[in-house]
Amino acid sequence: MTPEATSALALSLRVACLATLLNAVLGIPLAYVLARRRFRGQTLVDLFVTLPLVLPPTVTGYYLIVLLGRRGWLGSPLYAATGWTVAFTWYAAVIAATVMALPLLVRTARAAIESVDRDLERAAYTLGRPEWRTALEVTLPLARNGILAGLVLAFARALGEFGATLMLAGNIPGKTATVPLAIYSAVQTGETGDALLLVGLLTALSCVVLVVAGRLGARAA
Amino acid sequence: MARLDVSIVKRLPGFTLDARWEARENVVALFAPSGAGKTLTLQCLAGLLRPDDGRIVVDDRVFFDARAGVDLSSQSRRIGYVFQGYALFPHLTVADNVGFGLRNRSRAERHARTGAIIARLGLSGLEGRYPRELSGGQRQRVALGRALAIDPALLLLDEPLSALDLPTRVTLRDELRSTLLQCGVPAVLVTHDFAEAYRLGDRIVVYEAGRVIQSAPRSELLWQPASEAVARIMGIRNILHGTVIKASPDRIQLRWRGLTMEAVNSPTQAYLPSSEAPIAFFIRPEYVRLIRKDRGAPDPGHHMNLMSGRVVAEADFGTTVALMIRLDEPGEPAQGEYDLEVEVPRLVYEILEIDRDRHWQLSIHRGSIQVLPA
Repeated sequence: MTPEATSALALSLRVACLATLLNAVLGIPLAYVLARRRFRGQTLVDLFVTLPLVLPPTVTGYYLIVLLGRRGWLGSPLYAATGWTVAFTWYAAVIAATVMALPLLVRTARAAIESVDRDLERAAYTLGRPEWRTALEVTLPLARNGILAGLVLAFARALGEFGATLMLAGNIPGKTATVPLAIYSAVQTGETGDALLLVGLLTALSCVVLVVAGRLGARAA
Repeated sequence: MARLDVSIVKRLPGFTLDARWEARENVVALFAPSGAGKTLTLQCLAGLLRPDDGRIVVDDRVFFDARAGVDLSSQSRRIGYVFQGYALFPHLTVADNVGFGLRNRSRAERHARTGAIIARLGLSGLEGRYPRELSGGQRQRVALGRALAIDPALLLLDEPLSALDLPTRVTLRDELRSTLLQCGVPAVLVTHDFAEAYRLGDRIVVYEAGRVIQSAPRSELLWQPASEAVARIMGIRNILHGTVIKASPDRIQLRWRGLTMEAVNSPTQAYLPSSEAPIAFFIRPEYVRLIRKDRGAPDPGHHMNLMSGRVVAEADFGTTVALMIRLDEPGEPAQGEYDLEVEVPRLVYEILEIDRDRHWQLSIHRGSIQVLPA
């Protein structure tokens, strides 16, 4: 394996793990709120979270540039204050992967939470538990398999993310070139050996992910 | 003695609950067919659903008062709620389910209380089991134990027996009755089975389409349904319509199927309809007497409301037989093919050889004809 391929693999794993962690922190509470609360603007929140699932990834990437790029809505004040911008760093790859993976986790986890019998939560309330404790002690443990399946899917999506990453993080070897980007470069430059190796690795990993997610999903049902 | 004052208005899409009742009895049964708003009432009592208007007082605690802006949270009401289907936590053991509401107590205290409840409900030895490993009756006891463990101010039971098969249901009904009596906690239970409401409730509150149509001590309800609607919901048979001849505070004379009949007026309601007014009444099938032919002519001093008719159909219920009787009077029968349903014990059916002899004289004591105020 060439140094480029090795570094792409290491970077991809780092990015996917971090993106999955961020997904858990943001996505599980979001899924709970969407499943159990009714609030104004709920449809809008749902729409925004789900949009990356159907938009072309480059379009999502474009919006991320508009938001976080050096001249972006959030990016420009940040640049003015610190002289630093997230674009074209490996953090950008993490952000792109997080946004792209979030709908998979939120949708799966939300369905799992919605399938928990509401009387169980009501029982916990009458037994003195506030809502947040009930969520931690009753709802989330019972939705566990669905949530884990969602996290596995999110991890796979983060690992394979291409378009949005390319837009926001670029394709800088050793810095932001994740496995899918490295495959693209390798094919472009005719390094078929590297491409084949990485393609095989991603395919195998995706198969494992599908089997694991399927098992978890079956147990959740 | 418990004190329960309930007044709830809750508007939902396509359904409005507007229920008011009071009770001083310990066990109140909310009785109605499904979809009448009984479970909604429980949810409002438990603070799981906020009424649009009304007031809920349990003993001296105001749980909810729309005008005063009082609305205690579920967590602070101290309600023991036994859900329909029990809602046991499937990921927790029997002991952890029962002890779930005792989080704020010390470990030792929680342990002692859980152990005592488990022993009292006959669940010893099952502490480490999960709900899926229990029988229906055991689950019901765990649900009851979990609710009683927190020493509730009020116990709510939503169809506590409906998830059980028939033999278990009858056993657990009696068991539940003695547990409720023993623990002395005021309880409100919901059921669509009148026998269950009667066996368990000291007071029965009858719901129809979101409203209370009668609230009465159980024996009063049994003998004096307030209206034809209540009688129908109770599943009372032989609900009939006649015309008033004369009404006095203690007797009502009425005409039905060309016969003149005499009924006792309802002593508490002193119902005085005017002459020629239509009147509904019912005759319990088990209170109609067949007059034996081997004892001579019927004695008018002993037999009242005499009539005669023919058995046109019968239904065998094993221990009893229901006879559908068409009177000899001319005209359309009151209930389709027949006028009266009469229920006789199987032994009577055999002694009188009713299978062979189909024509009978009947008498109905005036105390067995209940009038239904309009």
